[in-house]
Amino acid sequence: MKLNKTAVGWLNVTPLLAIMVPFFIMPIIVVAIASIMQTDGFGGMFMDPTLENYTYVFQSALTYRLYFETIKFAALTLIFSAFIGFWVAYFLVFHVRSKLLAMGLFLICTVPFWTSNIIRMISWIPLLGKEGLINQALMAMGFIDAPLEFLLYSDFAVVVAYVHQLTIFMIVPIFNSMARIDKRVVEAALDAGASKFDIMRYIILPMSKSGIALGAIFVVSIVMGDFFVVKVMSGGGTASVVGAFYEDIGVLQYPSAAASAIVLTILVMLMVALILRVVDIRKEITQ
Amino acid sequence: MTDVTNATISTRGKRRARRNSSDRTWTFYVLAAFFAFYVIALYGPMLSIYILSFQDLRGGLVFPMRGFSLYWFNELIMQTRAGDVSGSFTRSIYLAIAVTVITVVFSFMAGMAFRRRFRGDTIVFYLMIGSLVAPGLVLGIGIGLGFDMAGIPTNWFTSALGAQLSWTLPFGILVMFAVMSRLNSDWEEAARDLGASRAQTIGLVVLPVLAPGLIAVALFGFTLSYDEFARTLQTAGAQNTLPLEIWSMTLNVTSPALYALGTVSTVISFLIIGVSLGSIILLQRRNAARKNISE
Amino acid sequence: MGTGNGDIELAGVTKSYDGETFAVDGINLKIPDGAYCCLLGPSGCGKSTILRMIAGHEDPTHGEILIGGEDVVGLDPVERRTAMMFQSYALFPHLSVRDNIAFALRVRGLSKAERNAKADAMIEKVHLTEFANRLPSQLSGGQQQRVALARAAITEPRVLLLDEPLSALDEHLRIKMRAELSRMQRDLGITFIHVTHTQMEAIALADMVVVMDQGKIRQSGPAREVYAEPKNRYVAEFIGGQNVISGKVSYINGTRATMAGATYSNIEIPLANGKRLEDGQSLDIAIRRDDIDLVRAGGDLPDGSTSVEGAITGVEYQGTFVKVMMEAAGEEEFVAYVPERRFFEESLSIGDRVLAIWQIDHAHLLA
Repeated sequence: MKLNKTAVGWLNVTPLLAIMVPFFIMPIIVVAIASIMQTDGFGGMFMDPTLENYTYVFQSALTYRLYFETIKFAALTLIFSAFIGFWVAYFLVFHVRSKLLAMGLFLICTVPFWTSNIIRMISWIPLLGKEGLINQALMAMGFIDAPLEFLLYSDFAVVVAYVHQLTIFMIVPIFNSMARIDKRVVEAALDAGASKFDIMRYIILPMSKSGIALGAIFVVSIVMGDFFVVKVMSGGGTASVVGAFYEDIGVLQYPSAAASAIVLTILVMLMVALILRVVDIRKEITQ
Repeated sequence: MTDVTNATISTRGKRRARRNSSDRTWTFYVLAAFFAFYVIALYGPMLSIYILSFQDLRGGLVFPMRGFSLYWFNELIMQTRAGDVSGSFTRSIYLAIAVTVITVVFSFMAGMAFRRRFRGDTIVFYLMIGSLVAPGLVLGIGIGLGFDMAGIPTNWFTSALGAQLSWTLPFGILVMFAVMSRLNSDWEEAARDLGASRAQTIGLVVLPVLAPGLIAVALFGFTLSYDEFARTLQTAGAQNTLPLEIWSMTLNVTSPALYALGTVSTVISFLIIGVSLGSIILLQRRNAARKNISE
Repeated sequence: MGTGNGDIELAGVTKSYDGETFAVDGINLKIPDGAYCCLLGPSGCGKSTILRMIAGHEDPTHGEILIGGEDVVGLDPVERRTAMMFQSYALFPHLSVRDNIAFALRVRGLSKAERNAKADAMIEKVHLTEFANRLPSQLSGGQQQRVALARAAITEPRVLLLDEPLSALDEHLRIKMRAELSRMQRDLGITFIHVTHTQMEAIALADMVVVMDQGKIRQSGPAREVYAEPKNRYVAEFIGGQNVISGKVSYINGTRATMAGATYSNIEIPLANGKRLEDGQSLDIAIRRDDIDLVRAGGDLPDGSTSVEGAITGVEYQGTFVKVMMEAAGEEEFVAYVPERRFFEESLSIGDRVLAIWQIDHAHLLA
């Protein structure tokens, strides 16, 4: 009657595996197989194992430019969202005295998460555009004579849209790890004569590290895997890794797209693994 | 003796008071301003498209407003353009409901499994993390190709459902971990001790205790599905879901109808949030009501 | 007293989680029906594991557990007719006091009217009638404990298992609830097994005290026996109230012997019935702290007593007596409980050299 722990555990994760195997493992395998197949030029593929698709990917100067652009966006988004997320969480945890108010303000930060990302991205267009609100305002106030062109359909707009979407992924885990810091530790440090800067450096920053790492996993994996925001907000001027192989698929170049997809997947997994070395995510979440 | 104690207390009180007032130095005001700026930047753009969606027929994609009308909402429903807005709405809602139900049930089970270490649990855990961080379009292409190779047509309620679950399930399980960290295993043991069967323990103790957390997981499942794009793009088959519809509109529609769609979509989102929060509050109020009876 | 089948026997019970180290290591123990038994030991000594094995929340790796003469290993808690009270109380947070107490009846399929009637009777017994509709979070610690007790008792168990039941309470409440537990046990007339790490709690409550260390039983018996006649150094030191002195037998003379150590040379010890000592044998003796009298060094020894000299290192006033700490007989903390009046007659203070005197027959030889 009594099942052992391992059997019960596996029984309970069976439904999860029933999704993971066909919709995560299989697709990766399928793409990996497709990446060593060849195309007949008309959208058909045939099996004749080759690494040509990979040599093509690695020899193309375009590849390096695409990766440079995408990693640049990931890094910029990471920096800004971590900076904003850290100070917002710090303000809520350490400066708002009423717990209820802090919770309320925290909820205000999270509500937009529940609305469509695409809509939130589009919503920058009437603000940043040539005739947008910001340009109108700046011109009305006489700061500028001609509308600023770099606001929309530019790298700037891409980063704004990413940060707008993803800062929430930073705020929540950082807020959680900061909320776990015992306020008495800070008071003890003050009593020991620590300055505000010391407290930040020796207590708050190290203890929020895991939250930042957790947020970074989401931000990095989402930006690296995205092509939608880049496509719309850059106005087509900038491409991205995913965007490039999406276009390959549009012209039925499956094998080269698949090779590129595999390279990207491996890169993202490596980045996440690197972050996971900093934080024991499992321990972090179950705490 | 008492004098001494009073003296200590009062100096301590003074010191405390000084420290508290020194909290409100420039850092507080700088951070408060920073926070306010963040919230404005968070909500400002969204508010602007909600307003612009009521733009008059003569108005364009940007301010100023040329008058208020429901013209662009009407155009959405009338389907004067190519595309199937209301159909994609219905599909997205059905799909999100299916994803929600499956996510809650499966991630509850997985959450229960991960409360104890079992042989091989680390593999399952990292498999899940892998599925969470894998580029969505890559999985979408793989699923699309896989269905193609197997000769099964892709469809929003088959391949897209699975594709979305590969993202909502790991996410739901991570949230479930946080939810379950509040579940004390003593409660289950106490229930067993009092003669409850496994099913009774889950039905009478575990589920009621976790109810607010399960609603939160459901909310995550619904929103993530309702908003999912990258994994759905190559797997939805012939009929679009709402985000795919919006995507195609962003590429070729240059009228405030796009904003109107955004407004409608957001209203739905807020309805869902409202219902979820409402049910959590209702659960808690029922408990509070008990207190009132007893007093 | 008792329902007649709440006696418990553990035979060779062993528990290992990893196959190498033993949380419980070959325990043999008999607890009579209707007894109040305390399992006493430091944290990690295996006492809670024993409790959980008796309750059926864990299975022993080896050995038998008999309740009322029947081997219960593998049976569900209900089939064993045991009930457990958890350290955290484990009250269901979403259920009212009444629903918590009626839970066992609910899962047995009793109708709502029936189970509420029974629960209300039990609620009255533990004086919680006015709180019946409250949630656990709206109760004080003492009230929560009474709910936990009532919830366990309503299953009419033959054995009630209590895991550190008083540890969550403050000192004042702990002493009050201690009396209540004792009363409850007499009322119910069933076997209570109570796990604790507090010596005073065990001694105050138990008919039978079981002292444990590292998965093994060090001594079991009536409270007074364990307190007054510890079998070994571990028990003497853990139960407290004793000074333990180590030394070697230096001289044997009929019914007396002399013991010597590094810093003293002539403590006389009794040779109780049949104890065989040899010259040069290592030995521990225990002397109760309240059997020791202090006089200034150089004073006279009364007849039949022996002494050791030392310096006072600390004095704590305890009200009815004074706790005097000294360095003597190679022990860093040699303690005497001197009656208050007696202490102030002598007016001793820190640094004074004194003789700690006791009746030779009051010393107790440890194994």
